[in-house]
This record gives sequence, C-alpha cells and structure tokens, in this order.
Amino acid sequence: MKHVFFLDGQETPFIPGQNVLEAAIAAGQDRQIPYFCFHPALGSLGACRQCAVKMYPHDSKHPPRITMACLLPASDDLQLVTLEADVHTEHREIIELLMTNHPLDCPVCDEGGQCHLQDMTVQTGHSVRHYSGPKRTYRNQDLGPLVYQEMNRCITCYRCVRFYQDAALGEDFGVFGSRNRVSFGRLEDGPLESPFSGNLVEVCPTGVFTDKVFRHDYVRVWDLQQGPSVCPHCAVGCNTTPGARLGTLRRIRNRQNPEINGHFLCDRGRYAFPYVTAHSRPLQPRLKGETSRQEAVLRQLASRLEEGRSGFLGSPREDLQSNLGLFALADCLHAPFAAVTSSWAEALAQQCLALPQAPSLQEVAAADRIVVIGDLDSIAPMAGFAVRQALGRGARLTVLASSRTGLARKGDYRPLRPSALPDVVSRLADDPCLQGGRLPVLLATAETLGPAGLFALRKTLEKLPANARAGAFVNRPNLFGAAYFAADGHTERLQQALRQREIHHLLCLGADPLGEDWGAGTWRTLSPGLDGLALLDMVDSQTARAAEALLPVAAFPERAGLFVNYEGRIQAFAPVYRREAQVLHSAVHGSAFPEAAGGMKHPLGPPPPLFWLGRLAELLQVHEAWQQRLDFYLHFLCPTAPDPESPGVLLPDTLRARFAIAALPTTPTVESGQWELDIFRWYGGETLADTAEDLQSLAPLRGLRVHPDVQAEWATLQGPCGQLHLPVIPCEDMVQGVIAIDQEGFAELGLYPGDPVEVTWEQGS
Amino acid sequence: MKVWRNFVDLGAGLWTTLRQIGRISTVSYPEEPLNLPPRWRGRPTLTRDPDGDERCVACQLCSAVCPTRCIELQAGERADTRRYPLTFRINFSRCIYCGLCEEACPTLAIQLLDEFAFSKEHHADFIYEKDALLIDGTGKHPHYNFYRHSGVALGDKDKGQGINEKAPVNVRSNLP
Repeated sequence: MKHVFFLDGQETPFIPGQNVLEAAIAAGQDRQIPYFCFHPALGSLGACRQCAVKMYPHDSKHPPRITMACLLPASDDLQLVTLEADVHTEHREIIELLMTNHPLDCPVCDEGGQCHLQDMTVQTGHSVRHYSGPKRTYRNQDLGPLVYQEMNRCITCYRCVRFYQDAALGEDFGVFGSRNRVSFGRLEDGPLESPFSGNLVEVCPTGVFTDKVFRHDYVRVWDLQQGPSVCPHCAVGCNTTPGARLGTLRRIRNRQNPEINGHFLCDRGRYAFPYVTAHSRPLQPRLKGETSRQEAVLRQLASRLEEGRSGFLGSPREDLQSNLGLFALADCLHAPFAAVTSSWAEALAQQCLALPQAPSLQEVAAADRIVVIGDLDSIAPMAGFAVRQALGRGARLTVLASSRTGLARKGDYRPLRPSALPDVVSRLADDPCLQGGRLPVLLATAETLGPAGLFALRKTLEKLPANARAGAFVNRPNLFGAAYFAADGHTERLQQALRQREIHHLLCLGADPLGEDWGAGTWRTLSPGLDGLALLDMVDSQTARAAEALLPVAAFPERAGLFVNYEGRIQAFAPVYRREAQVLHSAVHGSAFPEAAGGMKHPLGPPPPLFWLGRLAELLQVHEAWQQRLDFYLHFLCPTAPDPESPGVLLPDTLRARFAIAALPTTPTVESGQWELDIFRWYGGETLADTAEDLQSLAPLRGLRVHPDVQAEWATLQGPCGQLHLPVIPCEDMVQGVIAIDQEGFAELGLYPGDPVEVTWEQGS
Repeated sequence: MKVWRNFVDLGAGLWTTLRQIGRISTVSYPEEPLNLPPRWRGRPTLTRDPDGDERCVACQLCSAVCPTRCIELQAGERADTRRYPLTFRINFSRCIYCGLCEEACPTLAIQLLDEFAFSKEHHADFIYEKDALLIDGTGKHPHYNFYRHSGVALGDKDKGQGINEKAPVNVRSNLP
C-alpha cells in the first residue's frame, strides 16, 4: 500500500517510520521547509526550530497548529501547510534569530555558494536584520591540517558533535560552554584524531568547519568542474565527486551511494587527492631517466616487446580496462602476465575472490553480530565507519587483532598473534560472539589474516547461518578486477621465467615491484636479470626511477574506467576534467598563454593507459587481435557496463565460483619464543595518498612497534631478501611477541604478515 | 479648435529648439577634459583600503555575476590566512561596462572609475592582469575596510576588535 500525506496539497509519499521532513526531502519537496539540525544520516533533533509546518487535524474540534516537521511522524492523509503567512513568519523570524550573531563573512567564507544557511536565508526571504547590537565572537581552534574552524559562524545546530561523537564514535571533539556561549571543538588545539574528521566540513550547514586543504587552492563551487568518480584509495570504492578548475584537482566531496557510502567519506578518500598535482608526479614520457618525446619512447618500448622476451605485470591499483588491456597485449604476444607482485598476494587475491558475496556497507551497518579481524580502520576506514553505525544500533563487536585498534576500544578485544588467527577464525562458528545474532558479519583486513586465514574464514562462513556474510578488505581499489584473469600461479610463472632468463624485460602497469609492493624483495633480487623495465604509472616510485621507459598516465579523475570493489561490485567512474587547461594558470606557473604551437610539449596531459597500450599494439601490428580480446574479456567480466551515476553492478557469483576450489594455502609455522611480524598501517597510508602533504603531516612515525617490555632503541630485522634497521617505538597496545612494521618494511625484508623474523635488539643507534 | 491645439504644440517644440541657440555643448575632446558624472561607469579597477592593503578578497562574486564572463581570478592565501587574488584578469575586449561587478563586490574593491576610452592594437593587449588593475587609492569609498566589519581575525585585528563586536566568549566559564 502506498502511504501519502499532503504537503501544501501535494501528495508526498512516505515509508512508515519516516518523519515529515525526511519524507519531504526524499520526495524532493523540501523547497518549502527550511531546516538546519536535521540531517538524513544523523536524524532529528528539533533544536533549530526551523522546519515549522502547520498541521490541520482531521476533526474540526482542534484548531490547526504549527509543529516541527522533523519531529512529526509521517502518517496517512496528514494535511500540512507551509505556504500560509504565519508559517512563513515563523520561518523568517527563526532565521533572523539564528542570524543575530552571524558575522558578515560570506566573501571570505569558503562555504559561500554551498552554504545551507545562505540557501535557507534566501529561501525564507530574510534580508535585513533588526538587531543592531554588538555580535558575539569566539576564538578559533587549530584543528590540524585538514579542517579549518571559524567559530563565529556557528548557529548551534549540533550536527558536528552528533556526527563526530554519535556516528563516528570519535572522542576528541565535543561541545563546550553554556547558554548562548556554546562552542564546538576540541579540549585544546590539535589535529582531530578521527579518520572521518573531514566530514565535519560537509555536515556543518554553515562555514564553521571548512576544508583546509581546499582553502589553499580555493575556488568557488560554481566555478568547479564536477563529475561522478570512484575513490581509488581502497577496496571499498566509495563514490566521490571530485571538483577541478583550470586543469587542477581542487577537492573531493562525497557522492552518495546508499549501498556503499551514505553521506560520509573517510579522510583518506577526501584528502589523498593531491597525488594528482604532486610535483613528483611524472607528466612526460621518460627514456632512461631523461624526458623524451612520446613517439621515441613508444618505439623503443615496441622494439623491446618485439624481441618476444618480455613479461607483463598488472596491478590492483589500476582500473579494470587497463589491466585487461595489458592482459590482452600479453596474450597477443604470448608473454607471461601477472596481476599482483607476489605469489602470497596472489593466494590472497584468490581467497578474497573465493569468498561468497561480501556484505555491502549498508548491510554491515545493519548487522548485529560483528567480528573484525585486524585493523580495519587503517585499511578501509569507511568499513570501520559502517561498523560504528552498527554499534550505534546496538550490535555486538568482537575485534581480533594484534594491537588495540581504534575499533577494539569500542568492542570486545581479543589480543592475538597473527599466526594464531587462522585457527581462531576456523573456530569462530561456535564462538559465543556470533551466537544469537540475526545478521552476523565478519570483516577482515586481508593482509593481516593472510591466505590461510581467509580460507578458514570461508570454511567458517559455510558453518554459519545462510545470511551470514564475510568481507575482506585491502587498500587497493581493484584487487578483484586485476586478479580475476591472473590468479593461478601467474606470478610464480613470471618470476620463474625471469629466473630462467626466458624473459629479460618487464612492462609494468601501476605496479611498484622494486619499491613497496608485496614481494618487492624477491623482485629486487631478480632485477639484475632484467635488461629493461617499462612502467605506466601516475605516481613517482622506486620502480619509476629505475625504469628504462616511463609512460605517464592520467590520474583517475582525469579518465574513465571501472573498479571492482571488495564485494565484486563493478563501478564506473567518468573523466571529470582535462589537465590541458592548466596552461591558463599563467601567473602561477610563470609564463603567459602558451605559444600557439610548440609552446608546451604535452598540452593535453598524460593519456590513460589504454591509449598507450593501444599505440603499442598498433606499433606491434597486433591491434586488431588486441582490441578483439579486450572487448571479449570486458564483455565476459561485465556484460552490462555500469553507468557512473548508477550504484554499480555485481560480478555474477558464477564468475567467482571458479576460485572456490582454491586449495588451503600453506601457513608459516611460528614457534613459541620467535618474534612474529604484523603489518602496521594508518588510515592515511596508501601509495597514492603518500604524496598528499597535508594528510601525511598526520602520519605516525616510521618505526618498529613492539610491546614496551622490550628495552631497546633500535632493532635490526633479518629477512630472506634483506635486512632492516628501524627505531623501536614502544606501543602499549601491542601483543607481546609481535612486531608491527609498515608495508615498505615487509617489501624490504621479503616477508609477509604472520611470518617469524629474526631480530637483533640494540641500545642507542 | 483641434487644429489650433496642434499649432501650439508645434510652437512649444520649436521654442525648445530655439532656446538652445547660442549655447555650446560640443566639447573638443580630447583637448578638453571631460566632466564626467560621479556614477560614470568606466574601466573597472581594483582599489585599496584606507590602510593601503588591497581590498579584493578573491570571493569570485564579480566573475560569477559578469554577464560576458570576462573576469577570471584565482584565489591565493597569505601566511596570515588572508585570502587575496593570486591572479586577477579582466578581458576588456569583452567587458561591456555594465557595472554588475561593482554592484556585486562586497568589499568595494572593484570600482568602475572614469577611464572610458582606451584603444589597443591587439586583442591580447586588452587582457589586463592584476598589476594593471590595482590602483593606489580607495576610489569612490575612502573609508571602507571590509575586515573591520567581518568577523574573522586578521593581522593586528583580533577577534572582538571589529566594528560592533563583543569580546571573545570564554567557553570555559559556566557563570551566568
């Protein structure tokens, strides 16, 4: 049955349980009802008294009365009016009260043009303030490099604190003061600790919290070129709206996708974008370290590939088509191809793909029994946010990790060594932490759990009720898409071919096998056998510096593509802007308009990888076969290409089923008394994000984290591929016997999480 | 009767014309300077506040309101967090001198002063950059300083020192 009420005589549909304002916003009829403190994700508060509507009772005994739309449950045939004079007077007067102390800041306020308060003030017609007395002022706080505070502009809607404390479960932000001196901020100056602090900018209906990174290179929102994109910084694939102007990317905002990211975005997704404008980003083709013409580089690379002794390496960091394009090229040339850099990572990808349908974040938020394995916040913060939402609805959370993570503080924490995880996970089905639940959900960080743990997770899932779900997260946007065609020992075969001198040249796409990718240690030992290495990438890396030929590629907001997220959801992103227009930015870059011809070497900016691959196929005269194969693979994986505006399409289960036969991977044996490695990450750490200066200023120190009962200042770790000398950072939250290092460290050592390691402790340096 | 009425009207019109005999309204411009009315809409300029600092805060309202889209600017940020135009460019071969930018400007920075006749050999020369637009004066509004009215702190002006502002609130106090 369709439920409707009447707003100004218009039929407004609603779902039972909604309030009038919520239903009016959902139906797009909120033009008549101004509001402040209501937020679709944060609920009603009734604090601002702005969303007044006049309700006409069904009987004639009671007079019509004015009430708040956000507190009025929608019911059938409710008669509501906003167009009458007394309702309008109420709207106008409340706005005037809220605006009493609001400063005349709009010209210097970054919210101007996208300001809810501005919109509502214009909408209600308030233009001249009757109050002429002095205005209240506040001192601002320094809230770190991401969020800028200007407290004078506050209208005390409490949205910020409701978001920060109630939704994101943050603890270092709150409300201070009393009566009309209420202030929102931290107890003292300092960066906000929550990985979701950037949402304050979007949640605040006025300019109290504005984007500090955007502020440095500001442009009004009406001048921004915006479009639908997908966040490339982790496997969740939140939908984003990048905004660019004059060929440079200025900011990232959240784009709502109800099944993934509702109204919020994590700080990595929001603030990691400056990799696009980083000075270190390669923008011009390079040959042996020298900037070169693109044709020269392409010809050189084509002659290399013609020798027929090349290997191809894709990457879960690149989008689906680019990986398939590389795979198709390798196929045409009968060359070995791998999508990930180590057999361990390949086994991991295989086990991730074998997991049956993972829960969407919406389902995670609705779960009532949750088990989190590893530090979820540091890999996929938005998954951690969904867990927080579930906690807010009364879910029971159990965290299995080797250190007391942010989420572990919110639920039952079971300290565990990484090598013990597969065992514990395999026994989870009978564990009381999952009993009695309506919807149990298990979320794991794939790298901490390892292939064996993921295998155990899949077996556990089979024993759980049919509606139980499990998901594994990595901080790569496209593990599923990249690994699909290359998950059967391809990496091992590629490395073997290199070892046996069958190939002596490698063409990499967005991979960093000599830098910090998994298994980089092995690649480094193999690299003397490499005659040349070619790379297509958008960031500067050790591999880029070592590459013989480097072809720069367009950043994700500059091109179209597909990502396959952790649930197997294929999402499309569209090009938002073109880099070429940057030349108009004359005074900044020191030269006037470009000369008509030859003024710029590459005025169009780097092309997408498919362009380079297509040109290579053309030079090698295999382009017809290449195009056919590419189309075939693409059609096989994704028969209906999703639209960037749509919520994406899920990979069919039949495509994933072939991975279910994957055997139990071997587990490293750790004897008691041996030190064991775990991975340490933080929420802003990711290859692309590493070049974002503002975000990285919050990065924790690099070092080796260990329980403070170790009395040492430095430690030397010995791995099969090298050794590592790191400062020791004592960390109360660590489990004894476990050492946590970053991924770069793992790459250096040639080890993986859960492996035993030899340590030499040292005093002093 | 009607005919006579028409003759009177005709005579009145003729008298208006005859009255002008002897008056000289031709100005031999450019030898003689023009006496332009104060609201004359000439070439837009960027003015300075009474303290000598530039008035423009790069709010981009002028470029938004400009009907010919001839204004283009990029905001920059000074060390003291004050916003200023890093680049400010007006293409005078497109400007129609409508004055909407002046009306929109909240800090009275952009003002249409009395320069009205200027010619160039090339279109490119009509693109005026910020250094050509910024004048060393306050223009038509000698006393206005936006930052004295706005709520943000800037340089030596702390919170609460602006016009019509109370001293900053002590949020730690619970006293009534």
